[in-house]
Amino acid sequence: MFKKVLIANRGEIALRVVRVCKQFGIKTVAVYSTADRDSLHVRFADEAVCIGPPNSRESYLKIPRIIAAAEITGADAIHPGYGFLAENAAFAEICDSSGITFIGPTPEMIRAMGDKAVAKETMKNAGVPVVPGSEGVVKTAGEGLEIARAIGLPVIIKAVAGGGGRGMRIVREDSEFETAFKIAQHEAEQGFNNPDVYIEKYVDQPRHVEIQVFGDRHGNVIHFGERDCSVQRRHQKLIEEAPSPVVDDELRTRMGEAAVRGCKSVNYLNAGTVEFLVDKDRNFYFMEMNTRIQVEHPVTEQVTGHDLIKLQFRVAAGERLPKKKIVPRGHAIECRVNAEDPAAGFRPSPGRIKDFHIPGGFGVRVDTHAYTDYVVPPYYDSLIAKLIVYAQTREGAIQKMAGALEEFVIEGIKTTVPFHRQVMADERFRSGKFDTSFLDTFQFHAGQEGEGPA
Amino acid sequence: MDLNYVKRLMKLLSESEVDEIEIEEEGKRIRLARHAATAPEVPSWYPPFGVNPVAVQGVPVTPPSVAFPSATPPSPEGAGYHEIKSPIVGTFYRAPSPDAVPFVQVGSSIQPGTALCIIEAMKLMNEIEADVAGKIVKILAENGQPVEYDQTLFLVEKS
Repeated sequence: MFKKVLIANRGEIALRVVRVCKQFGIKTVAVYSTADRDSLHVRFADEAVCIGPPNSRESYLKIPRIIAAAEITGADAIHPGYGFLAENAAFAEICDSSGITFIGPTPEMIRAMGDKAVAKETMKNAGVPVVPGSEGVVKTAGEGLEIARAIGLPVIIKAVAGGGGRGMRIVREDSEFETAFKIAQHEAEQGFNNPDVYIEKYVDQPRHVEIQVFGDRHGNVIHFGERDCSVQRRHQKLIEEAPSPVVDDELRTRMGEAAVRGCKSVNYLNAGTVEFLVDKDRNFYFMEMNTRIQVEHPVTEQVTGHDLIKLQFRVAAGERLPKKKIVPRGHAIECRVNAEDPAAGFRPSPGRIKDFHIPGGFGVRVDTHAYTDYVVPPYYDSLIAKLIVYAQTREGAIQKMAGALEEFVIEGIKTTVPFHRQVMADERFRSGKFDTSFLDTFQFHAGQEGEGPA
Repeated sequence: MDLNYVKRLMKLLSESEVDEIEIEEEGKRIRLARHAATAPEVPSWYPPFGVNPVAVQGVPVTPPSVAFPSATPPSPEGAGYHEIKSPIVGTFYRAPSPDAVPFVQVGSSIQPGTALCIIEAMKLMNEIEADVAGKIVKILAENGQPVEYDQTLFLVEKS
């Protein structure tokens, strides 16, 4: 096992990793920007090195400084957390060449899965269902229409150079196709300087269901079941749960086996998540793979009883994955508490937290780096806490979450706690019958702080 | 109770380091307590500021600032002088090579652009240059010592 680990991250995940290191008796090195001097992960780590000014590009993303910090402290491993450099193949490579173990997959795997086209091809070759689409760029509307008919409408025309939900056009009828195609090309040219477009089947009313996978250095690849992350706003997850309300044992087995097959084909190492779209007929299609630990890993931990970060360390140190089949039990829900104002379009709300009280009790877990008097800096993402509940049933978990949210006190800044309370009270959410369009039509009622909709 | 006795006790209390006196004798009891200034509210379950040791061996621990986390706490010795701080993380060297003469000494005159030291990071030697004109008053890092971003290396009397 490692002697000293540098945590190349900040916030709640950095504290999470520090906690795991304490369990192993591993010494910890925190790196921090000048804006994070008072961070909990800095205070609870054994050593701390300032690596730059608030701007991430000059601190948490600055590879030479992070490697230098590892060198001067004698760290023998680095945990990259999520975001920042977690999926930066160059960083993983530099760790390797500096003789520091990168707690994650290899640079080759990061590269392979980071390229969406390559990832899709890899999965397809492993027999994993993928979203049907054109094989690359489509040059003319005529060509496009043929492909669209072969795939089956509705389809979505996407800009090759697009992203973040931009440069996309949905076509539901043959007759609309040509116009939509030409407009899409024009928009792509205007928006991204590149008129190239491709076509994919448009999965209607999809749910976002992802499978947690793990590979070890001995060729074993296993899965830990699924998470449903359909409650999203602009492709940002807000609420996650395990298991998924629409996944039964049979579907879980099929999706899990597909994910494992895909990962085994590249000898995947360490933690990863295979994301699928599940349509209303419960067909699943590979969307993308994340080669890192995810924000929402705690819900999987709660229903499987495995500490996934601890497992990352074990796997990185050469240990074998558990042999016993992993069967999820009970139900877990996570609400992401962000420093954002749901009454003002989720506008970021940084600043000093004047009062901070977290809920507790059996099956109530809070992963947070915040505390009373903590100043939420404006330079980084707005996640300040993850509230995770675990119960025997989904109804029980929702009830527990509602109570825990009521007890969660954060004053001085605006947070998404009132928003989550209203979602927990929402009939559609409670029914379990919703998809990724849920928040498009969800109405947040401002001014009802502390209460759900009447 | 004799008032003079009480006054003498009060004087005793104020002249000493003691915060509280309680005396009981012959059935009478008096207690005098110094009114303590309210300490800033710090959750008692967190380690006190300043206890967290900084990685780098031998570097003085600068207590983190509470009110403005993004502001660099001033070096305890820096009052009045211009501080030249490390722009990177690495190992500090006084000279371009082990046998060479150090770039600067206390008393050396410097100009903007004068090479002051080397900071080695990832096998690369980075030359750190002065940003002001003046005289080196104090060198705060030792040869071969690890330094972090924003750490004060030199104190300069600006000319």
